[in-house]
Amino acid sequence: MLSRGIISNFRTPTPTACKYSISDKDLESRGFLLRRSISDLNLDQLNSVFVAVGFPRRDPEKIKLALQHTQSMLWVQHTKSQKPVAFARATGDGVFNAIIWDVVVDPSFQGIGLGKAVMERLIEELLDKGISNIALYSEPRVLGFYRPLGFVSDPDGIRGMVYSRKQNKKK
Amino acid sequence: MLTHNVAAPSSLCPILSYDCHFQASDHLLFPHTLNPNLNHATRKIKGFRLKANFWDSIRSGILKNNATQIVEPPSTVEEEEELLPEEFVLVEKSQPDGEVEQIIFSSGGDVDVYELQALCDKVGWPRRPLSKLAMALQNSYMVAALHSVRKLPGQEGNEEKKLIGMARATSDHAFNATIWDVLVDPSYQGKGLGKAMVEKMIRTLLQRDIGNITLFADSKVVEFYQNLGFEPDPEGIKGMFWYPRNVDEQTDSSMIMTMAYWLAKSQQQPSPSPFPLLSHFTEHPFPPHLPT
Repeated sequence: MLSRGIISNFRTPTPTACKYSISDKDLESRGFLLRRSISDLNLDQLNSVFVAVGFPRRDPEKIKLALQHTQSMLWVQHTKSQKPVAFARATGDGVFNAIIWDVVVDPSFQGIGLGKAVMERLIEELLDKGISNIALYSEPRVLGFYRPLGFVSDPDGIRGMVYSRKQNKKK
Repeated sequence: MLTHNVAAPSSLCPILSYDCHFQASDHLLFPHTLNPNLNHATRKIKGFRLKANFWDSIRSGILKNNATQIVEPPSTVEEEEELLPEEFVLVEKSQPDGEVEQIIFSSGGDVDVYELQALCDKVGWPRRPLSKLAMALQNSYMVAALHSVRKLPGQEGNEEKKLIGMARATSDHAFNATIWDVLVDPSYQGKGLGKAMVEKMIRTLLQRDIGNITLFADSKVVEFYQNLGFEPDPEGIKGMFWYPRNVDEQTDSSMIMTMAYWLAKSQQQPSPSPFPLLSHFTEHPFPPHLPT
């Protein structure tokens, strides 16, 4: 089990350090593997992480369908247990726009930089594809997580909107 | 005198009832002169792929003797809705000279990318590369379009069809959909067509059981979408963008500036740089736009 003591022993980056807050190698040395595809991803375990952070429990078959139609995804696998402990994915049109969904970190593994690791790499992947319009919907309590990553809420007064079926029962 | 036809026998496909406030003002639908700047080609109309008995049941409003009733739980489909067809006529109008114009909604992605480019020009959007536009359409889960079809009586098969509106949605096919690029030809704006288009999109998405429908709205159009049932910042959830450029400058330079940011951030990057072009742009560092 990781403790914060390991992080304080982290050495300063060498001149050839990578652009991420924590490098792939560092993650590996701490017992985490970065994964980029649906293979080896246990969807029931992923679903448990979703539930643990407060998402409603969703049909695993539907989750599978969603992931099969997701262009970019990144997850962190806990080497020892093989379980997913961090996850994020992005959908979009592949050229102009991407939306990031389902950013989660298992509560037992929060606070050690896994969410940041996943987000930095996902953004990088989208930029590599030439997609510069990267958006997401953030719950109010995690705005502070996204801001240091470079996200701005309501830029130029643009508002995120969601269709509400409850409002429209009369229709 | 303009007439407002519903279920005209001469139309190629029947008309779905249009539950907007449209019926009141006929004179708003037609501009009196065709916009000469429109770049469109006369082309034959494709046959509409609709089933006759389905339309009969719609017209009669009753589903008796129909074994295939919608049985989805009420949470996904409102009331007892028939599945929306992929293509149908929204409005049909007749001119005094007998010319008939139909506005047709389609969700099948039948959009000519050149026509779309011209439409984007018309509404004043910055140009985007055609190949990228085509790819964006291809990668979209749903591309909805409005076409105007004009035909003169006695000239069956000789119709003028032009794109007058479009909206598209990306999706993971299961949970979420996001609507982008909603546009209506300025000559056809103010008539409820954009509203109808988005409304039909929403209905189609819901019928496909995609429950989370989202979009990002300019402050000027927030009310437009509110009237369609969208809520801004529900439960305080905020739309966020990664280092957004000015909304007006949606060109490829945004990508270049984004790369400039990464270069600035990763100063210890070993050579060769993954972004070799950036040396040209380091004179203009991209300042991260952080909120105060």
